[in-house]
Amino acid sequence: MRYVVLVAYEPGGWEAATAEERQRYFDAHHAFEAFVDEHGRRLHSAALCDADLATTIRRDGDGRPLVTDGPFVELTEQIGGYYDVELPDLDSAIAAGELLPGSYTVEIRPVMTIEGYEST
Amino acid sequence: MRPIAAVAAVHDRPSPASRDAVVPAVLAAVVRAEWGRLTSLLLGRFRRLDLVEDALADAVEAAARRWPRDGAPDNPAAWLHTTARRRVLDRLRAEAMAQRRMPLLVVDALTRQETPVRADPGDLVSDDLLRLVLMCTHPALDPAAASALALRLVLGVSTADIARLFFVPEPTMAARITRAKKKIVAAGIPFSMPSAGDLPDRVAGVARTAYLAFTAGYAPGSGPDVVRTELAGEAVRLVRVVHASCPDQPVLQALLALMVLQHSRRDARVDPVGAAVLLPDQDRTRWHRDEIAEGNALLGSLLGPGRKLDVLTGEYALQALIAAEHANASRAEETAWGRIAAHYAALEALTGSPVVRLARAVAVAEAQEPADGLALLDGLADDLAGSHRLPAVEAELAVRTGDLDRARQAYARAIALCGHAAETAYLRSRLTALGPPAWQDEPP
Repeated sequence: MRYVVLVAYEPGGWEAATAEERQRYFDAHHAFEAFVDEHGRRLHSAALCDADLATTIRRDGDGRPLVTDGPFVELTEQIGGYYDVELPDLDSAIAAGELLPGSYTVEIRPVMTIEGYEST
Repeated sequence: MRPIAAVAAVHDRPSPASRDAVVPAVLAAVVRAEWGRLTSLLLGRFRRLDLVEDALADAVEAAARRWPRDGAPDNPAAWLHTTARRRVLDRLRAEAMAQRRMPLLVVDALTRQETPVRADPGDLVSDDLLRLVLMCTHPALDPAAASALALRLVLGVSTADIARLFFVPEPTMAARITRAKKKIVAAGIPFSMPSAGDLPDRVAGVARTAYLAFTAGYAPGSGPDVVRTELAGEAVRLVRVVHASCPDQPVLQALLALMVLQHSRRDARVDPVGAAVLLPDQDRTRWHRDEIAEGNALLGSLLGPGRKLDVLTGEYALQALIAAEHANASRAEETAWGRIAAHYAALEALTGSPVVRLARAVAVAEAQEPADGLALLDGLADDLAGSHRLPAVEAELAVRTGDLDRARQAYARAIALCGHAAETAYLRSRLTALGPPAWQDEPP
């Protein structure tokens, strides 16, 4: 199974973290990565800049693109990064997600295949 | 041979061939007893939730047609299994021809290879059934859907019956179950055993799911009592199945004790016109003595010396102890209210629940004085604002202290809040029995 593990956090936590706290974040991510490497494999991952740097494109009533400053949903929690992984099942994805830093909220989404679509 | 109305209900899709068929009781019995084992056996082999359920329904339909004509087979479960397996294989072949690829249920591949599936479902390792139950009650599923799914896949209750039991329209229930099945496959919820470390948590999840269905059966929220009793009975059956699969899990033992003790009173809970009969007024000869004995035995071995119970197990065990005190009193006057009040105090300390506090107030009123019970109601008004139970208890205790004005006001509040026909009727009869307020008798 392929899953995208989305990580949400409250902004500001990382900037305010001490060196020891940052090390604990690193350790947690390393534990996640080691678990995934052992039970499946990592495809991609990225840490994202804060949502105040986001740019959103919507369509107006006539279908013209409307570009605005900010994320598409304003919430106290923001998507802060993702892992794209292959793991045997949801239980192993949950076990991996539980290794991530405790201040995160983690969302696990199965990845779907769109029949008939091939990326160029 | 005689028509068994219930058998028509084992099919999700009504079919003209089976609806009016004369079907031996043996088919109804085997479906009821073996559905979960057959489902788990076929799932372990084929990993296709969609095909397996359809194939089993088809096999039952075929049995309904053929057994009355040919006679029931020697091993009805094996017959159903073989027939269903053939249907799955036919479908898989047809799909292979059409070159369609359908998503597979995730199965613990290693365990699968080490434990070859046996052809005879009689030899089925109980782990398979536990896998099925754990899959249905996975925490990633909506809890309301999980209990419905467990009734469907583990107990073989038809979607129509589940909808009836939960008082929702059948299309709503069908959509809920379909969505849960879709999530199982798409999200990769596995048909496998969790690690030994995770098993107790997952079993606790099964217990919560089953108890949710059981209390939905007993909560007199709405609907006729006989249907609710049926749902509670199915929840008991679910726990029995799981407990048999993993007898070393204390939470299941405590829950089963609690359920059988409460359920043993089902036939005495309503009178012939459907009005609720309170515990002291129940005809104790109608309680199921064998189930009470079973509950006592389960509690006895659970609470052996030196046993340490986790919170959830403790919660179920204390409630079971309370139910046992009632069940073991041969007359209402012999109820050991002092012990019950002590169990409720322990339960309140464990849970902090205002509902438990309310029940404790009743027990204390019985064990000591009504005024002691009334005193325990202080401070509950906010927590239990929408419930008719608090004013109903207040009214009852106020009557006993002789404060009839307080009782009348509390009954009126309880009647206004109560949504259940039988209970409202009872509360009205209590209010009427108090007679009119004193000022109405006074001359102007």
